[in-house]
Amino acid sequence: MYSGPSKTAEAIVAVFVPPACREEVLGDLHERYSSAGQYGLDALRTIPLVIVSRIRRTADPQVLLMQALALYASFLGAAWLKDRAFLSEPWGLVRLAIPAGMAMLGLILEDAYAKPGRRSQLSVARGPVLGLGLALASQGMFRISNPDLAVPNWIAAYGCAISLLLSSAVRMLFPPATDRLQGANVPADWLKQSGGSLGNPEGSIGVVKGVAAIVAVVILLLILLIAYQAWKG
Amino acid sequence: MAKPDSLGQFEQLVLTAILTLREDAYGVTIHSKVQELARPKAVSLGAIYVTLDRLEDKGLVASWMSDPTPERGGRAKRCYRLEALGERALQESAVTAKRIWDVIAEVWGKEWAKQWGKRWGKEAG
Repeated sequence: MYSGPSKTAEAIVAVFVPPACREEVLGDLHERYSSAGQYGLDALRTIPLVIVSRIRRTADPQVLLMQALALYASFLGAAWLKDRAFLSEPWGLVRLAIPAGMAMLGLILEDAYAKPGRRSQLSVARGPVLGLGLALASQGMFRISNPDLAVPNWIAAYGCAISLLLSSAVRMLFPPATDRLQGANVPADWLKQSGGSLGNPEGSIGVVKGVAAIVAVVILLLILLIAYQAWKG
Repeated sequence: MAKPDSLGQFEQLVLTAILTLREDAYGVTIHSKVQELARPKAVSLGAIYVTLDRLEDKGLVASWMSDPTPERGGRAKRCYRLEALGERALQESAVTAKRIWDVIAEVWGKEWAKQWGKRWGKEAG
């Protein structure tokens, strides 16, 4: 007699487990199966930690900082171009951070849920597109539930367009860990430290990322200073 | 030769489990072994995955996929083995633990150490 989770339950759990570790996690959960309730509870307790671990492996803090800057600067630039008065509104600068934050979340999740191995150059843009989809969806939800938190339509549209370009550029320069060549049993940390791809001299990407991250922080501070002055004046 | 990072307590437990399980070290077996070593604390399967990923990133363990088996719904296992760096890190941890034990036994007396030794013997037996 078959003793295991139902196909539907397994299919639901499979959706939430990142593809890179789906096979072993689903297999382990199947092996531990004793009842439907136990399986559900086991999956609920296991999947969040699996996702967190996958995010830790695929996310690079320096690149994330650059992405955050690119996204926030895009929405800030859009506000500057389309509706400068918005920047001096109460919580205007914070409201701009909401779509940028949602887009960041989309990027992080896209990397965590990407299938391991090489991806085409076109698919590099998939993360930003998903992120911006999330940003627009969040704006739509705010418009219905709490319009005070939403940013004006034109700022959202221009911000998304600019950030799609900037964010894709950052991803092309510094591809996510899942895009790099993976040798058998090469620890992900070593790949991160060595720059990952075979053509790069060891560590040179790390230096470039470090410099780019410092430049990103300086630019972010300048933007905030300019925005503060605009808000005061 | 690369020097291994110092290990956290949970990492030590996971490495010990992999060491004892040898060829049969994968998610489920590592989890039950760690649960046995960490009793009475409860350990979640997710915490095992997080630690295994971290240990692999540090180069302390290596993993490979085994053949699919029917009891797992036709899915493969991710098996783990200790790398040389992992063995050294575990040895260093064991030596440090032994040193701590010796100092404590010296300060609190041999009688106390004997009592604890007996209690551990009962738990293990």
